[in-house]
Amino acid sequence: MVALGVIACYAAIGLWVLGTDAAKRLGERTGWWSVPASPLLDALTVERADEVVGAPEIPGFGIRPRPEERVRIAQSYLDEFRKRVNIRVRNRAEADQRAADAIAGIRFAEATPPNWPIAEFRERIKAALDDLDAIAEVGEVDRHPELLPRIEKVERDIASMLVAPAGVRGMLYHARLALGTDRQGRSILVRAVYSIKVAIQIGLVVALVAVLFGSVLGAAAAFFGGWVDLAVVWLYSTLSSLPDLVLLGVLVFMFTGSIFDDVTKPWLSLVPIYAAMCLTFWIGPCRVVRGEVMKIKELEYIQAARAIGFGRAYILIRHALPNTLHLMFINFSLLFIAAIKNEVVLSFLGLGVKVGPSWGRMIQESTPQVINGFYWQIGAATVFMFFLVLAFNIVSDALQDAFDPKHVS
Amino acid sequence: MWSFIARRLLASIPVYLGIILIVMAALRVSDPVNAYLGKNATKEQIELKRHAMGLDRPFAAQYVEFLGRIVTLDFGTQTRRYESWKYEGQNVGKKLAEAIGPSLSITLPELCLTTLVSITIGMLSAYYRGRWIDRWLMFLVVLGMSVSVLVFIVLGQKFGSSWLKSALGIGWFAASGYEPWLAWSKEPLWGVLPYPTRFALGTWAHYCLLPVLIYVVVAIGYDTRFYRAVMVEETTRDYITTAIAKGASKPKIMFAHMLKNALIPIITRVMITLPFLIAGSILLEYQFRIPGMGKLIIDAIKDRDFPIIQTFTAVFAGVFILSNILTDVLYALVDPRVRLS
Amino acid sequence: MRLVLLAGVLAVAWLATPTLGQQRVATIPIRTDGPKSLDPAQGSTQYDNQACSQVYETLLQWKYLVRPLALEPLLLAEMPKDRLNDDGTQTWSFRLRPGVRFQDDPCFPDGKGRVLTADDVFYSWRRLADPQYEYENWWLFDKAIVGFNDYKESQAAAVKGGAKFDYSAPIAGFKRLGDLEFEVTLTEPVYRFLYVLTQFQTSIVPREAVEKYRTEFATRAVGTGPFMVKPGDWRPGERITFTRNPNYREELYPTDLPTDPAEAARDRELGFLADAGKRLPLLDRIEVPFYVPDPPMWLDFNRGKLGLTQVPSEYQQEAFVLRSQRLKEAYAKKGITGHAILLLDFIFRGFNMNDPVVGGYDEKRKALRQAIALAYDLDEINQKFYNGTAIVYDGPIPPGLDGYPKDGQAPESYRGPDLEEARRLLALAGYPGGRDASGKQLVIDYYTSQSGNQEEQAQAEQRMVEKIGIKFNMRFVNFSELIEAINKNKAQMFSYAWGSDYPDGENNLALFYSRNKSPGSNAFNYDRPEYDRMYERIRVMKPGPERTAIYERMRDMVIEDTPYIGSLARYRYYLVQPWLRNFKPTEDFHNYYKYLNVDDSKR
Repeated sequence: MVALGVIACYAAIGLWVLGTDAAKRLGERTGWWSVPASPLLDALTVERADEVVGAPEIPGFGIRPRPEERVRIAQSYLDEFRKRVNIRVRNRAEADQRAADAIAGIRFAEATPPNWPIAEFRERIKAALDDLDAIAEVGEVDRHPELLPRIEKVERDIASMLVAPAGVRGMLYHARLALGTDRQGRSILVRAVYSIKVAIQIGLVVALVAVLFGSVLGAAAAFFGGWVDLAVVWLYSTLSSLPDLVLLGVLVFMFTGSIFDDVTKPWLSLVPIYAAMCLTFWIGPCRVVRGEVMKIKELEYIQAARAIGFGRAYILIRHALPNTLHLMFINFSLLFIAAIKNEVVLSFLGLGVKVGPSWGRMIQESTPQVINGFYWQIGAATVFMFFLVLAFNIVSDALQDAFDPKHVS
Repeated sequence: MWSFIARRLLASIPVYLGIILIVMAALRVSDPVNAYLGKNATKEQIELKRHAMGLDRPFAAQYVEFLGRIVTLDFGTQTRRYESWKYEGQNVGKKLAEAIGPSLSITLPELCLTTLVSITIGMLSAYYRGRWIDRWLMFLVVLGMSVSVLVFIVLGQKFGSSWLKSALGIGWFAASGYEPWLAWSKEPLWGVLPYPTRFALGTWAHYCLLPVLIYVVVAIGYDTRFYRAVMVEETTRDYITTAIAKGASKPKIMFAHMLKNALIPIITRVMITLPFLIAGSILLEYQFRIPGMGKLIIDAIKDRDFPIIQTFTAVFAGVFILSNILTDVLYALVDPRVRLS
Repeated sequence: MRLVLLAGVLAVAWLATPTLGQQRVATIPIRTDGPKSLDPAQGSTQYDNQACSQVYETLLQWKYLVRPLALEPLLLAEMPKDRLNDDGTQTWSFRLRPGVRFQDDPCFPDGKGRVLTADDVFYSWRRLADPQYEYENWWLFDKAIVGFNDYKESQAAAVKGGAKFDYSAPIAGFKRLGDLEFEVTLTEPVYRFLYVLTQFQTSIVPREAVEKYRTEFATRAVGTGPFMVKPGDWRPGERITFTRNPNYREELYPTDLPTDPAEAARDRELGFLADAGKRLPLLDRIEVPFYVPDPPMWLDFNRGKLGLTQVPSEYQQEAFVLRSQRLKEAYAKKGITGHAILLLDFIFRGFNMNDPVVGGYDEKRKALRQAIALAYDLDEINQKFYNGTAIVYDGPIPPGLDGYPKDGQAPESYRGPDLEEARRLLALAGYPGGRDASGKQLVIDYYTSQSGNQEEQAQAEQRMVEKIGIKFNMRFVNFSELIEAINKNKAQMFSYAWGSDYPDGENNLALFYSRNKSPGSNAFNYDRPEYDRMYERIRVMKPGPERTAIYERMRDMVIEDTPYIGSLARYRYYLVQPWLRNFKPTEDFHNYYKYLNVDDSKR
């Protein structure tokens, strides 16, 4: 029951993401509404997942990292400001106006700079940078605890230059930082949550198509026998004589450079992964359903139906297939897990999801972080994935127990 | 039995022809020569390469030629070249052969350890069926199954190697790499059987033990569930009830009766995994830089080393099909109820 | 059965750890999957270089400690002398060092290495024209030597006709004067010919070995160098072991130091002169494991297994204090030293000048490219992806070479970010707000190679150009596909980099020479007759202020036309263990293994 609840939650989040994304797209195209106007609706769209919300590799839960790290974080905020103050303009007279505009353009998600005159910014940035230089002059910050107050002063300066709004937007901003940021300063939480959509999308499409395709082929093979059976068995024994990962690799490799490899049409970019996985995964359900239909075929009611004179296709669809539904359910939930896990592995090898966030990419990007002792990104991806897969594992066990108690493994 | 083997072999010929057809076609969807030869490649160079590989001939001719190679097991000799593109002067056959050893030196221990450990846990679990120990074990197993393999590998590498060394000063495990730990005799025993002359178990443990352990942790989940189910099924059998009625002790029932009868599904399960011993644990080999089959194929896909990809998939499919037939035969030998008809 | 056998075997197994005795051994890494061939004629990558340079030797080499780089003879007895001929050709005369022997190998009579002669030099160079080796390195000699191109063509035709490649056919530019003396005549006086003679591909190989081992020669190295690779010591993709060549001639550790006194002082302080005058090589064996993903290399260095390591950017902040680029105390306390060397790097985002949208030389097309360049924030890329350690500069000539602008800033440049100006130029180009007359958004096909960091970079770039209303159609392809897309003129824009083959700006200016258009190295397909004329002039000039002035004119011309957005040059950071001595990091040559030494008391 709990497992079903978890799945429902994930599905709801996935739907939400899908819905707001679509609504945003539609709103942009038609001008009927504007999703970005509402902070809540816009919280989980793909643009927000790719947006910089802070310095790179900030830990989550508001934990304060080592002083050395804090200097790094402060430095990266200051650099953002410094670059804009030092803008290179041919016409000197415009420089201040340009710099002011540039500063006003700084956005870390909801947090923006206050409305100060440009001179004030210049002064504060210079002061803060000088502070940092002075701190660096003393030595390694980790070994000099007496430097902490000076670091805190710089941090306060930065906080005053970047103000999060009050109300819902402010809460959202803090929520974004709840699990920290990745190497690019993007919110780990938003990316992990957005990846739910990607995972569910891949799991759903792959499992559905593979199960339907496999079951229909398997049932047809068993029911009609003869050359149909031969052909289907030939096809699946052929494809299954390579390990999944190798087959997936070869198939993904085959699709690269095709029309699906087009980033302006992100909805197409997942097609190669779908196709590779479907082509690999339909074999399981096909085998099982074929075996089951072989048995069912000999049962009396089917024999009776044939004797009455129903068409073979009719019997297959009306009587044989429905009796394999339980197998389809079990296989569906097994394949769902397999699809999610394989997406992660493929992305890790650089053959998987290429646009937008996914748990696989997050884990891949976090390998060097793990060595450096920064576990927030790998942790978030693992935990989010863990609950979904766990829930599906439990559900498929329950399904198996309910429908197929004698089945082994 | 021989007629069975012959029939199975005959039946697998179309399957084999099919896989080669599919793989060869898939690999030619985008031009492999262009993909491989980079920077500054002139038309001249591309043509030379294409011609050397026979890619300028019609597909059917290439298909027949490649089949010929497989039938004669000719993947390059000193005089007849069939080289890797990336490593010029190195025959594909030699590269495949060299990769088998490292693969086996992690997959064999993996298989043995996983089987042993998971049978033990499976038996324990079945023995205490429904009790808290069983519940906890099964819960742990499902937990383990729900975490991505990659997380185990990435964290295992960090903590098993670097953290052990830096925090505890234990340098048992290498972060990656491989050194041969077995040296084989030059003169085979009785003219056929090569025997090892040197074992460096320390070397093996240094490079291979950590990936093996990680694999065991990952794989244990799936196997334990299977073996538990097998055992549970056995406990419901009549002969167990009889044995209990006759007053046999519980451990005796478990080991003498149940394990013996569960042997058939166990052997089947182990046999099924045998061909994958050669494919190796792709991700582990890749991440730990163990020069086995798995690393070979992934590297080849990444490097676009066309001859290796093509040959690897073809040879592997062949081995797989053969070992399937072997499984069936062995199965029949173990289980007298199965007839090879 | 097999399992039983194995179990029995394990029962009698013993732990074997090879004893090293008094051997001096070091382990140093290569940060990829290593060389792909040990045959200089078939090598091309830096890693082939790293392997071949230890076993084979070239006629000239770069002085180990001296900066800026300077040439010295290696297999030659003295620096070659040149003279100009009346027909505009140039003749270089060479004298080989007497008594240089190849290493002992079964391919020689009695297995004893024989003495090197002028014939070996010509033989080795002729191999680059042999179609069997797929002309991988022909570009080094292409059109350079009188009669060499004709020789290559006629032999190619003969081989196609079924004949064997004739290594004895005459070439007008090759003249043997004696066993050790020879002359080479160039089609035009090109100073860079001397650089070619330091390239490992022109190393001298013995004919006997090539003919005995045939294709296996790529795995069996037989050279004159300080180290040998014994059969089986190279496991491709894994590791290679170099063993001292016991017959190596007497070659001594150098005493020359950099010209800059501060640098020279630092070299002294680092103990680079401690072994001065000792006989090379100083080590008995060097183990070189290859690392494809970085993490294991970093871990192995920290475990003390490796003598040195490059510092991958992900781990930079572990070892260095970012603000001051100083080595952290935790490392310094262990006696580890840090080095930073500036690479001869030209990292850029190129435009395809043949493309109807972004290419072309009229004001509008130019304004479009300049606008995109102005939208780019290279400092941000530097901060995010190079830890702020790279150098952002104008023009195609990397820092440290003639033609590099002062402080990296050319008098006129289109380096961003300057969004206002970018928007103005974009409107001028006919895309106000990034949309054309019909209101369609400008979408540019942008090809970039796919490796973890590159994809993140591309996303950052996408964000930059979106600010002026342009969209990139990102194509993440692997490196070979990227090259194909460039060669086939498919890419409108591409992310790319050029590492100089030799330390001379001419090498980078050649990237814009119209005769090098793709599939040549001119990936931009840049084509300006005026530029070509200047290039043809500088190619035959010797270094000097006059040549530098033309370099600068060419540079500014390219900046104005903006066929690329750039540029960045990386620093490469090295960490060296206290027990590894004499390692002076360089990326320009790789035959320095012979100078390395270890101090086992510091392990």
